[in-house]
Amino acid sequence: MVKRILAIIFILVIGFWIANALAKVPFGEDKMLVGKYYLENVKEQTGAINAVTAVVVNYRGFDTLGEVTVLFIASTGVAALLWRRREERSAEVDGSLILKTGSRVLLPFIMLFGAYIFIHGHLTPGGGFPGGATIATAFLMIYLAYKEYEIDHNLFEPLEGLSGVSYVAVGLIGLAIGGYFLFDWIWQIWEVGDIGRLLSAGFIPIIYTIIGIKVGTELTGIIDRMIKESKEVEG
Amino acid sequence: MTQYASLLIALPLISAFFVPILKKISKKAIMPYLTLITLIQTIIAALVFRDVYTTGNPIIIMAGGFRPPVGINLYIGHFASLFALIIALVSFLMAVFSMRAINIEPKDKYAMLFLLLMLGATGMIATGDIFNLFVFMEITAISAYALTAYNKDAHASEASMKYIILGGIGSSFFLVGVALIYGSLGTLNLADIAQKASLIDPTVAQVALALLIFGLAVEGELFPLNAWAPDAYQAAPHPITTLFSAFVVKASLYAIARIVYLLSSVETWQNILNLLIILGTLTVVIGELSALRQANVKRMIAYSSIAQVGLIAVGFGLGTQAGIDASVFHMVNHAIVKALLFLAVGYVALELGGAEFEKFRGLGKRMPLTAFAITVGAVSVIGIPLFNVFWSKIKLLLAALVAGKTFVVALILGASLVEAVYYIKLIHVMWFFESEKGEENIVLGIIMTLLIAIIVLIGIYPDSLWHFIQEAGRDIFDKAAYIKNVPLLEVVK
Amino acid sequence: MTSIGVYYFGAISLILIGLYAILTKRNLLKILVGLSIMETGVNLLLISVGYVRNATAPILSDYATPTNVVDPIPQALVLTAIVIGVATTALALSVAINVYERYNTLDIEKIRGLRG
Repeated sequence: MVKRILAIIFILVIGFWIANALAKVPFGEDKMLVGKYYLENVKEQTGAINAVTAVVVNYRGFDTLGEVTVLFIASTGVAALLWRRREERSAEVDGSLILKTGSRVLLPFIMLFGAYIFIHGHLTPGGGFPGGATIATAFLMIYLAYKEYEIDHNLFEPLEGLSGVSYVAVGLIGLAIGGYFLFDWIWQIWEVGDIGRLLSAGFIPIIYTIIGIKVGTELTGIIDRMIKESKEVEG
Repeated sequence: MTQYASLLIALPLISAFFVPILKKISKKAIMPYLTLITLIQTIIAALVFRDVYTTGNPIIIMAGGFRPPVGINLYIGHFASLFALIIALVSFLMAVFSMRAINIEPKDKYAMLFLLLMLGATGMIATGDIFNLFVFMEITAISAYALTAYNKDAHASEASMKYIILGGIGSSFFLVGVALIYGSLGTLNLADIAQKASLIDPTVAQVALALLIFGLAVEGELFPLNAWAPDAYQAAPHPITTLFSAFVVKASLYAIARIVYLLSSVETWQNILNLLIILGTLTVVIGELSALRQANVKRMIAYSSIAQVGLIAVGFGLGTQAGIDASVFHMVNHAIVKALLFLAVGYVALELGGAEFEKFRGLGKRMPLTAFAITVGAVSVIGIPLFNVFWSKIKLLLAALVAGKTFVVALILGASLVEAVYYIKLIHVMWFFESEKGEENIVLGIIMTLLIAIIVLIGIYPDSLWHFIQEAGRDIFDKAAYIKNVPLLEVVK
Repeated sequence: MTSIGVYYFGAISLILIGLYAILTKRNLLKILVGLSIMETGVNLLLISVGYVRNATAPILSDYATPTNVVDPIPQALVLTAIVIGVATTALALSVAINVYERYNTLDIEKIRGLRG
């Protein structure tokens, strides 16, 4: 009880302290500085109409590379920590008939939708991360429906590594052609595509496809490791 | 064509991604591959170091070719190039040690996480963007969580759990700080923030800085967010403990110093310095007192390491050029000494199956070179003349005297006294008991001899290194030069 | 209510609720839930810092011009922060699985192998 009261006092102090500072940061007003620059130059410099994707992949591409790395670390870490219990699955029976049939029917459509999301990242809200997550849900559904199912680790792990290698390789090609790491040579030197069309925005669709595959395989890998926990953990 | 320095980031990244493919080709090749990559990284870092120190200009890497603050830039100045070299070198030595020390599967995952930990720390010291700093901090932290738990035994899992919870709180605090700064200035680039620092409301700046410091203090092992550190040091695989102590902590401390000194024009700056001194002092006191009553040598050295980190933070809190120089010097010396100590202790724990005090009884007979290495490391940490840490402690003392903080002088002397007590206890246990003879590994012997040589060389000729240290210290202190070196694009509303 | 920033209020509340859970709960999974709530609060805070009244999403078209869209940067940052949060949670859960296997409990009061 004392602990709770102390905790409440502590969080109130912290809350008051942060709120005090936040009061000086006006809400809802236009405070953009660099943001404005992005909005005004995004079409011309990157060829994308979705400013967020342009910021994510082009202007702040380094962050995204780091973000992909973080997810890679998580999938590697989960694989390292849950390494020994690979065989067992806690499910005793398959899913119901509806789940089984439904997942089979829906699988290609979900995959297609995931691919759509990451290919159109520069035009619509979305991109590699949601697209990859969508693809992973397709596999999650199969896992729920069939207790015997297992992804092909010989395919998934190298694919995960390969897509990571390709992302860095795209960056290094930029270094070789344009002189800067992660330089968008497709848009800024070759000037391929029309703004607002699918074929535009330089390497954003390429990078988002790579990220989509990477995130899809990584999240599927994490699902695969976690769903195979041994039975005692369930109880 | 200085953009080749981006290989410092690109190489470990692409190599880590390549491991799953390499695993399909040959599993045996993974550990030698890890060593090779860290060696190449060391060579690149050495080239960058030479470039920066001969030209005297930092290397600015602009990702995507956009000028900051529009794009993200890396700022590889005197400090970053010096420390990138130390990070790569220590990683290389520990990769060699890992070949012997890591017997638990899956080694391919270990190699990936190892490379990414090195990458994260390199990125943290190199980046010139506050959110990018957060990303690199998380890369470092998450690979550190996974590596802490790598042994998969009870202690490792528990230590990692504590680390994750504290790390999660820390990263949330850090992001709130970033949100406050971004909300006030509309920019994330460190040089741009420094340039506009006087425009931030003093209250906002104070809260934001404190939040950023608390966020980084988890990795930087400052009290009260360092509760994970002794556990993680004890439970992590031995090479990883060395990496934590040698550069993961240092990268966060540097980030704290960098942010604090870039924002030195805010009105409430003095409060932030005081906060650093208070946190540092508490870290030293609690670290040293806890070290006294440890029964596990690895844990004892971990507490000693935490205490040294506190001293470094106090040095940064002095607010003078001399204080920063001394802290940077102490960072370098501490990295070398703790690399030696954790390597030697880890080797003993590996051979004798544990790091308790009893295991070290008569080590001087059983493993003379290792015992000698531990002795040199211990003597150096205490601050005996002719060893490297002596000089950085003296510089820190002088800096504190000049800054008029006499209690810091007492703190350093007191800390050295306590260190003397527990390290001499260890030395006594090692040399004054009988034991049967044993064998020692030649490769590890060479590494230890090398580190001992560096320690003694710096101890005898501190001036040769001091010159580099001063350059690195000025790199942190001189805000105007930092702003001038980053080719900022003028963005107006 | 809209003028005084309910978003700020909500974001800070979420952060504090998460922090409270971390400080007081004894079950490891509940602590991890607390961490996630805290992260959500931080993300909401970042988004609301970039919000501009009466503006639309930053996808440029004939109707959305640079003058009437919200700040794209915080949205990009939150995208990164969410992924990092997911990564942390995934790793934390697998560590929790390991902890449960070793100690046979998720009660942090009973997980005390390391002391001093």
